[in-house]
Amino acid sequence: MGTPYFDYHALAPVIVLAAVALLALVVDFVWKDGGRRAVPQIAGIGMLLALIPVFTLAADGETRVMFGGAFVVDNYALAFAGFFLIVGYVAVLLSYDYIDEGDYYRGEYYVLLLTSVLGMVVLASARDLITIFVAIETVTLPTFVLAGWRKHDIRSNEAAIKYFIIGVLSSAVMLYGMSLIFGLSNSTLLSEIGSVAGGDNPALFAVAIFLTLAGFAFKVSAVPFHFWAPDTYQGAPLPVTAFLSVASKAAGFVAMLSVVALGFFASPNSWQPVIWVLAAASIVVGNLAALRQTDVVRMLAYSSVAQGGFILVPLAVSGDNDAARAGFQGVLVYILIYAAMNMGAFACVIANARRTRSTEIQSFSGLGRSNPAMAVVFTVFLFSLAGIPPFAGWFAKFVMFRAVLDAGTTAAVVLGVLAAVFSVVAFFYYGTVIRRMWFHAAVDLGDTGSPRVPGALVAAMAITTTVVVVIGVYPQLFAKIGDLAFRAT
Amino acid sequence: MTEFYRSYLAVAVLILAAIGMVGFMLGLGRLIRPVRAQEQKYIPYEAGSDPTGTFGQSNVRYYVFALLFVIFDVEAVFIFPWAVNLESLGWFGLVEMTIFVVVLTLGLVYAWRKGVLRWA
Repeated sequence: MGTPYFDYHALAPVIVLAAVALLALVVDFVWKDGGRRAVPQIAGIGMLLALIPVFTLAADGETRVMFGGAFVVDNYALAFAGFFLIVGYVAVLLSYDYIDEGDYYRGEYYVLLLTSVLGMVVLASARDLITIFVAIETVTLPTFVLAGWRKHDIRSNEAAIKYFIIGVLSSAVMLYGMSLIFGLSNSTLLSEIGSVAGGDNPALFAVAIFLTLAGFAFKVSAVPFHFWAPDTYQGAPLPVTAFLSVASKAAGFVAMLSVVALGFFASPNSWQPVIWVLAAASIVVGNLAALRQTDVVRMLAYSSVAQGGFILVPLAVSGDNDAARAGFQGVLVYILIYAAMNMGAFACVIANARRTRSTEIQSFSGLGRSNPAMAVVFTVFLFSLAGIPPFAGWFAKFVMFRAVLDAGTTAAVVLGVLAAVFSVVAFFYYGTVIRRMWFHAAVDLGDTGSPRVPGALVAAMAITTTVVVVIGVYPQLFAKIGDLAFRAT
Repeated sequence: MTEFYRSYLAVAVLILAAIGMVGFMLGLGRLIRPVRAQEQKYIPYEAGSDPTGTFGQSNVRYYVFALLFVIFDVEAVFIFPWAVNLESLGWFGLVEMTIFVVVLTLGLVYAWRKGVLRWA
């Protein structure tokens, strides 16, 4: 047993993030008053610093394998690592004023955020069940605490408790499935599970895959494992909700994608029906429930359940015929676009909640007159979520339907029709908010806050709007990333 | 398609077995246990005396200590195998373990600065 092989260049994003998280912790407790200002800056700069090695590794283009194949840095891993870091940076921007003004612990917030993003970056490279499990727990554990951040608010406590109990339950189910897979394939490496999956497997293999995927389904709040999402999203502080509904959800999808694409793929009969049912149920239930909401955060929570269903569609059909590449690329591209538009929508909700101290949909009334710039930006995000060109959302839907058409089986077409019908339904609830903003007079909500939109929120909106508009007009950019990410496989 | 049904039959059997097992155990308990309804059985058990109706907060300070203990317990789990293989791992292992211990120590310093270790 000698020194294990370490490629510090490949590990650089992870090392930078870990070091920055520790630095933020130390700065917070050593330099109490100054730390208040410094820690968010450190967190933001840290996310961007960790992006540098991601770019140099991408420019290098070499696939680096470490720890006996458990940690792989390839295009796929880099695409998601870069994505998570940028989402993390936007989350810091969203949090900046919200956390600064509330009566909360400021330093710890960013340390936990950095730790969660660290887990995501590791997850992108994880190619082994144990590594995936440890990474996904690193992602979720800090978010349990973040969800309960407003500890004097009973809603926030409820959010954290619900999220914690469901999170632990889902981890247990997932581990049970993983232990069965290990028992059947005698390995935790996805590549070796993949070679076993192609053979003649006992029926227990399907059970193991079912349980593992059910565990991930909790994380991505796919129906019927979505009950925690609306309550948690509503109770948690708004920037945390944005982070949960985008980054932590995307982490669940990345884990699912890795496990299916690299592990179970050769045995489509075992995993396809599970994902098909999850996708169909999420699309139907998510969209129908979103129609009835009067609170914009709950509406976005159900909308994110529905969008999660759309993300699962390309994965559900990827086992048919030659749809694998189109399917996996569809998932990746949809996640990237969904992140930009949902983060942006939450930036607008946070700005509006500062103005009106409310998250009711009716609090958006008259926004078109009082703050037309923000109303335009929010309209762009809602149009994009509804999938209307020329905003990025249409391309996400396009790659989804392309995967369905590539598959071409009856099951795939049925799912495609469901997705198409409920995309139309989705426009109703997004449209309600848009109508409120432009065609209704302002409602007097009594206690109102400051109408000024702080700089950090403006920056977050600028980044996300740019992505949504640029990708809407020039989608080849994300298509290229999707193409590169799956070149090797 | 037959293989498909065969593998999903196992999933269905598992779900039914899980539901059946819970139902069987609860049902069996219901069948064989004596049912003697008494008023006192429905009040919370509090060390033999009747509850007074008000509730006080219990001291959760032990909990934080237990948490700190678990962290260093796990640290020991990693240090033992490292110590056994120290010679073959050499300087590299020493540096890695130092980083690991420093990270955990930072956590302890944090807890100390937050006043967790003060018992008052």
